[in-house]
Amino acid sequence: MIDVQSIRDAARDLLTRGEVRAVIGYRRGSRGMLAEPVTITDPEQADELVWDATCFHNLALYLVEDRKALAHAQRTPTLPIAIIAKGCDARAIVVLMQEHYFKRDEVYIIGVSCEGGGVLVEYKLARLLNGAQALSAVFDGDELVVTTAAGEVRLPASEVMADRCLECREPFPKEHNVAFGEDKTGRQLAAPFTALGRFEALSAVDRWAFWRRQFERCIRCFACRSVCPMCYCDECVVDSITFPVAPDTTAEEKANRIRWIERSAVRSENITYHMTRAMHLAGRCIDCGECERVCPVNIPLRLLNNKMELEARERFGYEPGASIGGPSLVASFRDDDPGQFIR
Amino acid sequence: MTKKRTGVFVCHCGNNIAATVDVARVVKEMSAEETVVYSQDYVYMCSDPGQNAVIQAIKDNQLDSVVVSCCSPSLHEKTFRDNTTRAGISGFTCEIANIREQCAWVHKDRDVGTEKAIKISRSAVRRAGRNQSLEPIAVPVTRRVMVIGGGIAGIQASLDMANAGLEVILVERQATLGGHMLQLSETFPTLDCSQCILSPKMVEVSRHPKIKVMTYCEVQEVSGSVGNFKAKILKKPTFVDPEKCNICDDCTQVCPVVVPNEYELGLTARRAIYIPYAQAIPASYTLDEEACLGLNPIRCGKCKDACEADAINYDMRPETVVEEVGAIVVATGFDLYPQENIAEYGYGKVEDVLDGLQFERLCSASGATSGHVLRPSDHKVPKDVVFIQCVGSRDPAQHCAYCSKICCMYTAKHATLYKHHVPDGRAYVFYIDIRSGGKGYEEFVQRTMEEDGAIYLRGRVSKLYRHNGKVKVLGTDTLTGQNVEIDADMVVLALAMQPSKGTAQAAKVLKIGRDKDGFLAEAHPKLRPVESVTAGIFLAGAAQGPKDIPETVAQAGAAAAKVIALLSQATLSHAPTVARVRRSHCTGCEMCVTACPYHAIRLENGKAVVNEVLCEGCGSCTATCLRAAIEVKNATQMQVFEMIEACLA
Repeated sequence: MIDVQSIRDAARDLLTRGEVRAVIGYRRGSRGMLAEPVTITDPEQADELVWDATCFHNLALYLVEDRKALAHAQRTPTLPIAIIAKGCDARAIVVLMQEHYFKRDEVYIIGVSCEGGGVLVEYKLARLLNGAQALSAVFDGDELVVTTAAGEVRLPASEVMADRCLECREPFPKEHNVAFGEDKTGRQLAAPFTALGRFEALSAVDRWAFWRRQFERCIRCFACRSVCPMCYCDECVVDSITFPVAPDTTAEEKANRIRWIERSAVRSENITYHMTRAMHLAGRCIDCGECERVCPVNIPLRLLNNKMELEARERFGYEPGASIGGPSLVASFRDDDPGQFIR
Repeated sequence: MTKKRTGVFVCHCGNNIAATVDVARVVKEMSAEETVVYSQDYVYMCSDPGQNAVIQAIKDNQLDSVVVSCCSPSLHEKTFRDNTTRAGISGFTCEIANIREQCAWVHKDRDVGTEKAIKISRSAVRRAGRNQSLEPIAVPVTRRVMVIGGGIAGIQASLDMANAGLEVILVERQATLGGHMLQLSETFPTLDCSQCILSPKMVEVSRHPKIKVMTYCEVQEVSGSVGNFKAKILKKPTFVDPEKCNICDDCTQVCPVVVPNEYELGLTARRAIYIPYAQAIPASYTLDEEACLGLNPIRCGKCKDACEADAINYDMRPETVVEEVGAIVVATGFDLYPQENIAEYGYGKVEDVLDGLQFERLCSASGATSGHVLRPSDHKVPKDVVFIQCVGSRDPAQHCAYCSKICCMYTAKHATLYKHHVPDGRAYVFYIDIRSGGKGYEEFVQRTMEEDGAIYLRGRVSKLYRHNGKVKVLGTDTLTGQNVEIDADMVVLALAMQPSKGTAQAAKVLKIGRDKDGFLAEAHPKLRPVESVTAGIFLAGAAQGPKDIPETVAQAGAAAAKVIALLSQATLSHAPTVARVRRSHCTGCEMCVTACPYHAIRLENGKAVVNEVLCEGCGSCTATCLRAAIEVKNATQMQVFEMIEACLA
């Protein structure tokens, strides 16, 4: 079990010594026991940092936000920014570096191992607590230690953990400057692609019916896109796509931007949106599962991304987020690629 | 942008299109399009009157763009774009609507065909409506050629090109030119001595003022594109200075290392320092670095001491040279299918079972046995020799599915040669069927059977093994239905031809395609058989598919003619339909850089920049870019969008 104080000390030291300009981490939120993301710049704030089973957020998103803010202000920082990263967060950071979104020396990665745990799912916990109010929740080995008003309860970790954490193959952040906790890579809580496997057992007709039902519900709030660190495009295909503006381009043409996907939240457009997003994440999604967590209408989006991940793995032996210098899935050409059409 | 004035020209293609598509209706529908000011149909648009009608219509109606609804753009896009240029407007304003292959030929119902032809034509009209008047990009040409592979194909192509005045760099990975043809004894069907007809050509190549021969070299990297390739060539060290070496052979006399001789296919041994054969080009020794005791006077140094000419230099290091060339001919040849893969014939481990090339060396006057056919195990004259055809060929289940084409002929030649050497011996040939298409080929096989008395048995050999100092061959004669058992002194396997290892490597370095069997893929099986899919890279010889010497020489000549035609121009014209970057959207993720098969994109100040000369407009970059920050001119997002819309309407 990781002592949160060691993370705080590391953050404080980095800020005190002037090695980083800020630390992105988690603090106790305003909503009960849940953690929320925070960016601290003052060593004094280091004691606010927390590390528990509610540190859901993929903080890599805030590296993207930071980069955008800097670009907007036209500033080039001299110091790196530090970030607390779980295994999945670190993989996301690797993909971003692979895509040259920032350089390795611009980020200081404080790796935190999920060890035997990960993050919990609120409804699973609520069900097990039978109405009792949890005040804090921390993983300890293969148990979750929950404090309630009535005292301490120990629950089996696997019964409260998120699917993404159960299926996680890499709970330890391989890419890091400093790391806390044990490397439990290879721990097997559930076979990878378990949820996907269940779904794939259905017939094509049933799968299509399933997705039609799911996408009927989508309200196109774009929470999935907003929470995804890979969705960093300034202009998304859903919004509109401009075309090159030449000196002879008319006002009418400029106004008549292409809209590949209509904005209204109807099923056909929703399907196009989610399929497009899945394709754009092929070979990039590192399965942090944040899209699925934030969806207000509970669409199981991980199924889509997992499917792409599985295809990439089976057909091309590709693991997203494996190495900064490695080739990207869609942009690499191999002589022995399957598919006769590539010549 | 002022509104386009488009003309639509719908072709009947005789009845090819008109039978399934109501051409008149397509014309009528197109005339209703907003940008279309003229439309007509004609029975053969690609004929002279058809093309003249297009030119006349462009002039009479001040058209600024053209759509031709006809066959596939791969057939006549160039025709109609050139024609449009002749009428005085940019050829790149012309679009082809494929209503033959993609419509008329695949539909039976006339209504369905007509509807689809209208949609295809309409989408082309919309695309043409946003086409820019682009002008071709002029690219300067380097009037030099690199030929990869110094076998008969490479030699012939080099000579033909050099004689036409082109500078040629001939790269060969072995220590001598000549390739497999050098190992042959005689050639079918005339039984000319192979070395006697090849050696003069090798000498001619080596003395040609326009040809630079680079033996013991490998092409490591090729960049650039047609007209301007840059090739990185690795010169492996031979440790012998060919200028100083006087081929006295003193070095091999003292060399203590003995290794199998590759040129003799292991039938004899050579020393670590060696000359592949007496007439090698270049006429110089090569020190095999791997076999040598250590290139170090302290460890051995005997050859260096023995060399009076002081030609041996242990300090020679690999060297990389860069050559700029305008075109490349790939003539990397074949290897025999490995005998180790043939389980039923003992995985190449049964004594006195040879492959065809080994048998050539046994027959050759310059071979280990000085032209006497002696079996390797005991150097006795073999009296019963079994030749087995189609070993590894025509066997899709286990080995190669294809016919290696030359084995019927060379087996007949082997049987003839054997009977000439050992008149009282018996030659048995197991065959599936005889394929002897070619001038004088069938007559040759008949002579082998009738005059030289080779015994042809139609059937396959199921098994062979060593038995009482002989090779027991078990087979079936399917014509008599009898099982056949032969105690052979020697067995010769006509192994399949497969692309050489160098062919795989060349394909990788040049990024040119290979077919399912690994042979180099031609651009079109019938109409462009000596061109690769990549412009400026040409194919010659067995690297492209199994073939015999006359065919190889003919193909080499054809490849040379293509290169000569290409490089006869002062500049090449490059299509201007190249990728363009929207800098504001580019995040510099480099995906397009790695996706581009032509290495045409690089990053400059964090943004993608396209080298227009290298770009082929394939659109791989567009497909990988997640932000639509790169697109191909005249195939923009807007155009694709409108084309789809036209089809859905």
